[in-house]
Amino acid sequence: MSYSTFNRKQFDSTKEPMFFGENVNVARYDQQKHPIFEKLIEKQLSFFWRPEEVDLSTDRKDFQRLEAHEQHIFLSNLKYQTLLDSVQGRSPNVALLPIVSLPELETWIETWSFSETIHSRSYTHIIRNIVNDPTKIFDDIVTNEEITKRADSVSIYYDRLIEMVNIYNTMGMGTFDIPGKGSIEISMPKLKKALYLTIASVNVLEAIRFYVSFACSFAFAERTLMEGNAKIIKLIARDEALHLTGTQHMLNLMASGKDDPEMAIIAAECQDEVRQIFIEAAEQEKEWATYLFKDGSMIGLNAQILGQYVEYITNVRMQTVGLDAHFATKHNPIPWINAWLVSDNVQVAPQEAEISSYLVGQTDNSLDDSDFDDFDL
Amino acid sequence: MTSISKTATSDKAEQVHRVLLGKKQILVTEDEPLLVQLEQAGIHVEYQCREGYCSSCSIKLLWGNVSYPFEPLAWVQSGYLLACCAIVKSDIEIAFFD
Repeated sequence: MSYSTFNRKQFDSTKEPMFFGENVNVARYDQQKHPIFEKLIEKQLSFFWRPEEVDLSTDRKDFQRLEAHEQHIFLSNLKYQTLLDSVQGRSPNVALLPIVSLPELETWIETWSFSETIHSRSYTHIIRNIVNDPTKIFDDIVTNEEITKRADSVSIYYDRLIEMVNIYNTMGMGTFDIPGKGSIEISMPKLKKALYLTIASVNVLEAIRFYVSFACSFAFAERTLMEGNAKIIKLIARDEALHLTGTQHMLNLMASGKDDPEMAIIAAECQDEVRQIFIEAAEQEKEWATYLFKDGSMIGLNAQILGQYVEYITNVRMQTVGLDAHFATKHNPIPWINAWLVSDNVQVAPQEAEISSYLVGQTDNSLDDSDFDDFDL
Repeated sequence: MTSISKTATSDKAEQVHRVLLGKKQILVTEDEPLLVQLEQAGIHVEYQCREGYCSSCSIKLLWGNVSYPFEPLAWVQSGYLLACCAIVKSDIEIAFFD
């Protein structure tokens, strides 16, 4: 079964599952199986922002005054964020668009991925503004061992799913001998399992890995340092909160069986593996915290506190998708993070300060002469 | 004048509900979402978006009723409530994540 960019079959897309049904043909939103995804699209569009709106001139001065080990923390964190958004800016498109079957979900995936590209552009904006030679920083992302270890763990599930879907689209079902990879079995349950684990690992990326990096960015801003950077990270955090709601909806819809009964069986079978994905990610993030603070801590944050936050946020996120908490940590060791994460006071332009998600240029058509009664010339 | 203010007070008194949280009891009204009123009572609740899409303020609802003036974008699991936009409609008992 090969992918078609415009499926010629006539079918009712509201009867299709989210994934692995018919390829989408008409991008229509008049009838929807899961209207939540269109609501997410609307919300995401209302969040639109550009990195250039945020002034970073003070951050440059702040950065030069940071101690060497603090510069290491700041730059390593930024490199990690760059890596995460490089993956997220393309992977939902590459992995999920060939197998999606609902127009509203297809458009949500594209909207979601697009917003990640804004994040990637904002890292370049930050790095350009604080250092003279951005090349050194970007080049290190593919050579630094600590960063590439992270890259392996965030891309492994995506890559496996993409590989399996490629084989499925060219060869169909069966067991195939792939040079360099050995024998790979392609069946619908195997494909669905690879998909479910991918969505779970994306949820972990957005719900845990990103938040660990946000904690580091905001720790500087708590000391009134790198505040332009924190303003950008606030905008990114607002987007990420929405994205992780998107993946939580996908996971919960799959697990409930309301979307695709076969998926519910697979979700139940995968529960232990998903648990393991959460726990492994938490352990990797704790290791990362040790690397960040290897040359020294900063006021308000050290490897131990960040590690506790990793455990705390992992517990919270596991319970949100119906898993039991794994770690003993019950309290947020950095409660000040909420004040930075809260999105409704993200200030882009003064006139937008009160409501960060509003319709730009909305016109009111129900205007008549009486509306001008108060005017005197 | 006196009678008007009395009526206003008694109207409000009718809307007051008890929120049980462990051994604590907090009185809340239907005027504002639960999150704000818990914070006013000095209880720390996790939050991020405060408008129903991030699910950070998800709390266990052990019994009682809440309603949402608008349907939240976040997935609300059965047996849970979203504190940032839930209006308490009866006496309730809540619990944080384990």
